[in-house]
Amino acid sequence: MTSSNFRSWPLFLVLGVISMPLVIMYVYLFVDTVTDTTAGSLIPDRFTLHHWRFLWEEPETGRVSIWTVTLNTFIFAICTTLINVSASVTAGYALSRLNMPFKRFFLGGILTLHAFPTITLIISIFLILQMIGLYNTLIGVILVKTALELPFGIWIMKGFFDNVPWEIEMAGLQDGASRFTVWWKLVLPQVQPGVAALAVFVFLSAWSEFILPQVLAPSGSAQVLSTYLSNLIFDDIKPDFNMFKSVGVFYALPVIVVYLIFNKQLMNIYGGGTKG
Amino acid sequence: MRRAHLLGLGFLSPALAIILMLFLIPVLLTVMFSFTNMSTATGISGGAYEINAASLRKLSDAGAQESFVETLGKEAFVVDDAGITAAAAAYGEQFANEVGSQMLGERFDSRRDLERAFRKLKSRPRSTRDIKKAADLFKRSVLNVRFETAGGLLDAVTGNGIEMTPDQQELLTKTIYTGWTWTSDNFALMAQIPYVWRVAGNTLMYVVLTLAASVGLGLFLAITTFYLPSGTATTFRAIWFFPRILPNVIFVLMWKWLAWDTGFLSSLLGNFGVPPRNWMLDTGANAWVFIVLINGIVGASLGMILFGSAIKSIPQSMLHASEVDGASRWQQIRYIILPQLRWPIMFICAYSTLSLLTSFEYILLSTDGGPGGATEVWSLMAFHTALDNYAGNLQYGLGAAMALMLVIVGILASLVYLRIFNFNDLVAKPRIEQ
Repeated sequence: MTSSNFRSWPLFLVLGVISMPLVIMYVYLFVDTVTDTTAGSLIPDRFTLHHWRFLWEEPETGRVSIWTVTLNTFIFAICTTLINVSASVTAGYALSRLNMPFKRFFLGGILTLHAFPTITLIISIFLILQMIGLYNTLIGVILVKTALELPFGIWIMKGFFDNVPWEIEMAGLQDGASRFTVWWKLVLPQVQPGVAALAVFVFLSAWSEFILPQVLAPSGSAQVLSTYLSNLIFDDIKPDFNMFKSVGVFYALPVIVVYLIFNKQLMNIYGGGTKG
Repeated sequence: MRRAHLLGLGFLSPALAIILMLFLIPVLLTVMFSFTNMSTATGISGGAYEINAASLRKLSDAGAQESFVETLGKEAFVVDDAGITAAAAAYGEQFANEVGSQMLGERFDSRRDLERAFRKLKSRPRSTRDIKKAADLFKRSVLNVRFETAGGLLDAVTGNGIEMTPDQQELLTKTIYTGWTWTSDNFALMAQIPYVWRVAGNTLMYVVLTLAASVGLGLFLAITTFYLPSGTATTFRAIWFFPRILPNVIFVLMWKWLAWDTGFLSSLLGNFGVPPRNWMLDTGANAWVFIVLINGIVGASLGMILFGSAIKSIPQSMLHASEVDGASRWQQIRYIILPQLRWPIMFICAYSTLSLLTSFEYILLSTDGGPGGATEVWSLMAFHTALDNYAGNLQYGLGAAMALMLVIVGILASLVYLRIFNFNDLVAKPRIEQ
């Protein structure tokens, strides 16, 4: 809100100063990937594509090609999104609208599960996956990530279904449709923005996930970009930040694209979503 | 059960199955594992019983009598049926029968004793070499033999003529078992870790400081961007929202670059004659500043959005009226905006306390608990103990016990929250089927 009583430039100035470190980090994140800087100086002085060589050069022995890793990350993020959204959409509807035994119990349970973040479960999940032989596989990580995000997804979808007017369903039932048809043909289209928002949210969350792949699929062919990048950073004795940043930007590209397309929905789910 | 119930349960079942398999079972297993001594050394499947040099040492450490340990470790020569059968095959029925009738069940501490006994027999083999060989047939030892069950081990030991009291039997099977066992020692063990209180203090400090930083910064951002023209506001919101969606590895990478001894801060301050150093890991205090900044900014972006949408829902007429009455900007914030934000602030505090208590990704990636454990928090300690330490022996059981502490705190907290946030309002009665 702007007003005639107040000037806005002091605010602008304060905000600008506070945002400075972040802006500097963003700018250098991009600039450093295509430039070289003389040691000790702050201003980059040469253009180079050298830092992007990981895209076309053969990987060092013992390392996996970036393209395999990228493919893994896409498979991981997309599968997690698909499973999560389909399970959330049905469960959210059931909890919001359908009559069933133990509803309070389920709902309370899901809220409570939300209180169990990764660390409390990862030790036993690690042991379980080792026992059933899904350790170091993509499937294992996908299932675990889906399960961990599911309470949130169900909760969000329940919120979206709660906002759909009952009259729509009642009208459908009057006209002789079954509960299932009503849900599929009338209610689902109503919550489409919600489904999109949840899908984007889960995709981003899976795309960024670090701890689960790091612990459950640390090496070799099941690597994803987060573990690839962190291994790169941890391995090097003499860090090449320009190269790390190039990998980082490469890794962040889908996030940026998703943000540019869906930024309204994202704000929506981060803002309204967690309110329940 | 009515048809409608089936429909509801059917809709719920896919989610229920996934949650049960990979959420509820792990929670239960965390409880179970925290009562075991599982570690890399014991393995996660069952173990076996084996007496060898190492396990004998363990046995005497555990307080077994020296004589008992010594007898276990020694080879012995026992005249038993198996040996007699073998002797019969090698040196004839006559010799075997004679041994059987005269010496069955006898035990000799060394081969020489047994040979001496053989020499007294009429039908003994003629050459000294054969007598030695025959004696070897009766050599019995439990050393380096793997037994799957405790019973098998005890039978073998008694078969060797070693007498054990029940106490000794229990001590033996308990100490030399290579697999994991049930124990409630983890909790006592946890209390004995010298730095555990420091870690608990760190955790408290981490939660309080980060929460204060993120709520404070979030409020500031929400209010300031509210007063800015919409174009500028959107830009600033984007700048501060990005840390939330940027993968944490990259976000931390940016901070590492900022703080590295060849990084931005060092280069910048180098112009003023400050020697370069790693600003993040230099001292404990510096590490804390970075931890709070990194986590606080990520938290602030959530706060900014939540508070921002709450401010937007304040009726414009209230703000306009206050302006007509000549309210200063501070009065507007203090008396109109902040009261409206009570609920979202409470929500953020509740939600963040819990998630901060258990989150450790940013700390793991930035300082990894360093320097020298200065920024080690509880969840990171559990992670280090169970899944990632330099000693190489991953103590799953102890780590699970540490995680269990967090689970208990989490459950208690969410019960309180369900109270505060009025759970009953959330469960709407279905209006179609009553």
